[in-house]
Amino acid sequence: MIKQTLQSVLEAFEHSPRFYVWISALAALIFMAGYALLASLVLSMEILEFSIQIPWATLVSAYIWLVVAGSGLCIINALGIVFGMHRYEMMAKRIIFLSMTSILFGLTYILLHLGRPERVLIYNLISPNFRSAISWMGALYNVYLIVIVIEFWLLIRTDLVERAGRAAGLTKTIFNLLALKKLDEWRMGAVVKDPRLPRIIGTLALVTGVAALTMLGSVFAHIESRVLWYGPYYPIYFLLSALFSGYALLLAVTIITYRANGDDMLPEVKALIFEMAQVLALLLAAGFVLTTFRLITGLYNPVRQEPLMLLLTGPFSLAFWIFEVGLMSVLPVFVLIRAYRKKRLGGVLWSSLMVLTGTFVMRYVFIVAGQIYPNIKEGLPSYLPTVMEVLLIGGVFGAFLLVYTLGEKFLPLKEKGLHQP
Amino acid sequence: MNKKAKRIGRRRFLKLLAGALVYAALGSAGIAAAETRRYGKLVDTTRCIGCKRCMSACKRWNGLKVDRYELITDRETDLTANNYTVVNLRVDVRNRARRTYVKWQCQHCEYPACAGVCPVTAITKLAEGPVVINEKKCIGCRYCYQACPFKVPRFDFEKRITRKCHLCYNRIPLLNYMKPACVAACPVGALSFGYKHEIIKEANRRVQRGKHTGYILGLTEAGGTDVITILPTRPQKMGLVVAPKKRISQGLDKIRISASGLLAASVMAGVMHLYAHTTQDRDND
Repeated sequence: MIKQTLQSVLEAFEHSPRFYVWISALAALIFMAGYALLASLVLSMEILEFSIQIPWATLVSAYIWLVVAGSGLCIINALGIVFGMHRYEMMAKRIIFLSMTSILFGLTYILLHLGRPERVLIYNLISPNFRSAISWMGALYNVYLIVIVIEFWLLIRTDLVERAGRAAGLTKTIFNLLALKKLDEWRMGAVVKDPRLPRIIGTLALVTGVAALTMLGSVFAHIESRVLWYGPYYPIYFLLSALFSGYALLLAVTIITYRANGDDMLPEVKALIFEMAQVLALLLAAGFVLTTFRLITGLYNPVRQEPLMLLLTGPFSLAFWIFEVGLMSVLPVFVLIRAYRKKRLGGVLWSSLMVLTGTFVMRYVFIVAGQIYPNIKEGLPSYLPTVMEVLLIGGVFGAFLLVYTLGEKFLPLKEKGLHQP
Repeated sequence: MNKKAKRIGRRRFLKLLAGALVYAALGSAGIAAAETRRYGKLVDTTRCIGCKRCMSACKRWNGLKVDRYELITDRETDLTANNYTVVNLRVDVRNRARRTYVKWQCQHCEYPACAGVCPVTAITKLAEGPVVINEKKCIGCRYCYQACPFKVPRFDFEKRITRKCHLCYNRIPLLNYMKPACVAACPVGALSFGYKHEIIKEANRRVQRGKHTGYILGLTEAGGTDVITILPTRPQKMGLVVAPKKRISQGLDKIRISASGLLAASVMAGVMHLYAHTTQDRDND
């Protein structure tokens, strides 16, 4: 099997120089992140902090950005598997795999941010704090990851069995092990083949995913000492932003994958992508309404007025108006509407990339500005992340893209028609 | 049953009253005992001379690193993992002639928000009063710093955990009435240590006796703290972090906030169902 895998990778390199360049670029990113990590271990963890007074910064922003998008994908996937929209089921494998990898690498960001990551699993298991949102969030994301791994396995099991049938020797044994072929001989085999099982697992994934997402929003919303974060607004906004960032990630990745592979998109997949673009435009508009509502109500509140002014006219005004309002909310809506009318995938791709960029900056502003008030009234000389932070974030994102690329290469993620088996 | 029988007689009323009094006395005895057992620290900034001997003693007792210039009087220092307590000169914004040395440290809240958010229960409020971080359990997430209304717990980049003042709890349980290191080192009696109810009485007495109007920090801030600080004026006028005068980050409040998210999720599920139902025909096209 190893020989075959190596051979297929080498063939891919031989036939496509773009693939070679892509993998090399990702490897370089991972290497640089390795350097930043090593430097933080050898020198001091301080090099990963742009200010001691702001202990949650770029790594936490990247974590939220990726994990919330992954949770959004879980909700989008439920439209097909739980709510019975068959056209969404076409993309189920890609959605689940993308959700799985984004949450896994999102959690990597937070593990790198922790001082003692090795203690998390032990103490969150043996002495969890039920009053702490982080404790709930960690537990729920762990359960969610297990559930979606099962869901993904159920979806690709038929393919694994088929591959085992085609292979021989050790490869066959490995595929049989991955497919748990033995189950077919037991009573459990019937349960695994039951068509209702994916729906049950999908429902479980939706419930745990949404609960974990709510707890992620609550991590910030529970903090009464941070005026900008506190209150019931953020758990709700996290839900909505999960949906639009999830859609944006899915659309961007799908279109780029098809273009990179030079594959033709099935008409029903294309129709679904344009439908998703419509939904994304609607969600972005809803998000903009919610942001405006928060600003208006906040400005009338004497307690929240001062921290909100940090966004509107303060040091974050450029990021807020250009990225959060312009790039994340207003501009992509117009581009999406135009792309839908003219049926252009390029427009959908660009608007998705705009949403992803805008969302990242929005998360960064949310995290950093939230910690400025009330204790750093005099402000800081710079609010930009350090080079080491950028290297680490780039490397983990590179690893995420690498795993997705390899998954795309070796797993049956490509969409099949609605009526194809 | 007639009206007369329903009425509570004098004898029955007296019995009920006596019973209620006995119950109240017995029931509150435990709470009263717990309250009297609790220790507190008094920081009288009107007496402080800014010598920083408290900082030095704290560092010695806890084996903390000393930076070259931080123990010089009037040198502005910030709380760090190696500075459990700091003494800084603060100027009243309305009366710049009024300059006071303010000793700042963990306020040891009665209802610590940091303990409520620590994901691995590494922070505990001891019955005697101190709020203590278990350094062997801390995962270094810095959530306690975010939750603290006074912004006290600081991250140690070497040990990769969060550290703060523990009110020398490792001296208190010896029950030989040893004071915290800073209190024992104070040369002018600006720091006192004792049972909390006595500390509060002493603080009130000093403020009433003082020439100027004073402010007692810690009676109501964050629901009350075990470190009581006498300030010459209100904390906001001295540039100190102002904590809300109520118990913060309560369990019910957290449930209310998370429930809003779950409520929104159920609305979202309804919208998803509607979306699936109204566009069902597209699956057949």
